[in-house]
Amino acid sequence: MTRFLGAVGNEIGKGLRFAWSERLQIAMEVPFFTVFILLLGPLLGAGHQITAGHLNWTLNSQRISLLVVAFVPFGFFYMQAVKLFWRLLSEIQTGTIEQVYLSPLPSWLVAAAGRVVAALIETFVLMGITYGLTSAFVTLHFHWTVAVLLPVTFLIVTGTGYSLIIAGMTLLWKRIQLLQETILLLVMVFAFTALPVFTVPGWFAGLGRVLPLTSSVTSLYGAMLGHRGVTGAWGTGGLVWVAVTAAAYLAAGILTFRALEHLTKVRGTLGSY
Amino acid sequence: MSAITVPRPGAPVLAPRWFALRAFANEAGQGLRLLWRHRAITITALVSQGLMYLAIQFFIGGGHLLPPVLALTLPGLFAVTIAYTTSIQGAGEIAEEVNGGTLEQAHLSPARPSVLVAGRLAALAVEGLIPAAVLAVAFGFGYGPHWVIGPGALVPLTLTVLDALGYALLMTALVLRIPSIGAVVHVFNMAIIFFGGMLIPITLFPHGIEIFARFLPTALGVEVLNTTLAGRGLGAAWSDGTLSWLLAHVVVLGGLAWATYLHTLRRARREGGPSPR
Repeated sequence: MTRFLGAVGNEIGKGLRFAWSERLQIAMEVPFFTVFILLLGPLLGAGHQITAGHLNWTLNSQRISLLVVAFVPFGFFYMQAVKLFWRLLSEIQTGTIEQVYLSPLPSWLVAAAGRVVAALIETFVLMGITYGLTSAFVTLHFHWTVAVLLPVTFLIVTGTGYSLIIAGMTLLWKRIQLLQETILLLVMVFAFTALPVFTVPGWFAGLGRVLPLTSSVTSLYGAMLGHRGVTGAWGTGGLVWVAVTAAAYLAAGILTFRALEHLTKVRGTLGSY
Repeated sequence: MSAITVPRPGAPVLAPRWFALRAFANEAGQGLRLLWRHRAITITALVSQGLMYLAIQFFIGGGHLLPPVLALTLPGLFAVTIAYTTSIQGAGEIAEEVNGGTLEQAHLSPARPSVLVAGRLAALAVEGLIPAAVLAVAFGFGYGPHWVIGPGALVPLTLTVLDALGYALLMTALVLRIPSIGAVVHVFNMAIIFFGGMLIPITLFPHGIEIFARFLPTALGVEVLNTTLAGRGLGAAWSDGTLSWLLAHVVVLGGLAWATYLHTLRRARREGGPSPR
């Protein structure tokens, strides 16, 4: 047990040292994310204004609050998945990936464990500063309650599962940087379908529902802005769907990682091309 | 370690120009073979990019697709796709070579680094142009935007592609200096997606943001492309200054990227940087 905890602690420590080495990049992200949230608000549903050639850039408190609810979970996904991908790729390319198998931990846990804690801390710092900067421009109205910890927990589980799917694909195919970038952006864009800003076609909403972020964002919206609890069972943001999404993504993540890892080992291409 | 090329007796000696051409073709061919080998991933990424654009248009149109907005933003999609694809692939490929130690092997070649980088850029250009063209043609035929397509549009189109390649080369060069380049490229790419004319024409941004956006790769190219596709011709783009600024942007960004690449490579060779960090 002590060895197990020591190995997990080492992975977490490694994840945090990686996070610290990327502080320059985090400093670049903060102003960009703030501007992104502030400018995206007036753009939503502004198609006719764009056609007319004039856009009203007034910042709407309610709409910006909505976007913050969708954007913060994306921040975690980004920290977890993008960085896990690049870190894993670097280990594959340098050949140190094979050292993972000297650890007493299961390989999927080694791949994801250190990254989750580092991603949570990075998300907390990055989104905290982004929140502060955004609220300097527009008042954000949220109903803060401990109940949000429930969808947040499911979100972390879902994000871990999602990142394991990406990690498994990285082991097998290696050069998937373009694919993982576009899929992550797609996940972010579809998370906005959870927000009650406008109606979207049924197929579009249906596709959004199976993507990993949408149900957690809906649940967070209900708790922080919609004056609803998080324990309602049904619907996209209902407890059942949020829990099923989290369990399904984690299970799919572990299974995919193990299956693709096995295939990679059979082919003998774990650390080479 | 040093390597000396020893000519084999009786081996044909290539003239320098032919040798450079062959080195260029080898680099370009390597990139294209890798593109072909990973075609399934490229196609999936292409479909995802198309879906992402469609989703963004739904949001902007309030749940509807508005053809006039599509007409204004499709040139942005074309440009962003090239910049996005080439920068990620360029940075990813050189990171792979640095980590795998094969970048050093490439530079044991007697060919000049500028020849090798030109070959790398040629492959990247193809890698970026294929998905960009497929998406532009698919959405163009699907929604039939009212464009005036003439030979004049080829000028901003070419300059936009060159601008995107300059950006990709700059990101590729930075890989040799910044270990967390993957995430940095991600941030720059999101900035180009947002401010590069794919969401809205940059002239609609608040004035300060519009000026900032014009410094970003491909944004000016999309603006001039929109002017020509609206039937106002290159003269209008020249008289409002956007075409001349675009030319300056392409030259400055391309020059900066080229100089940065050669400088970082020289420095990395001096300090042992082409090896895994």
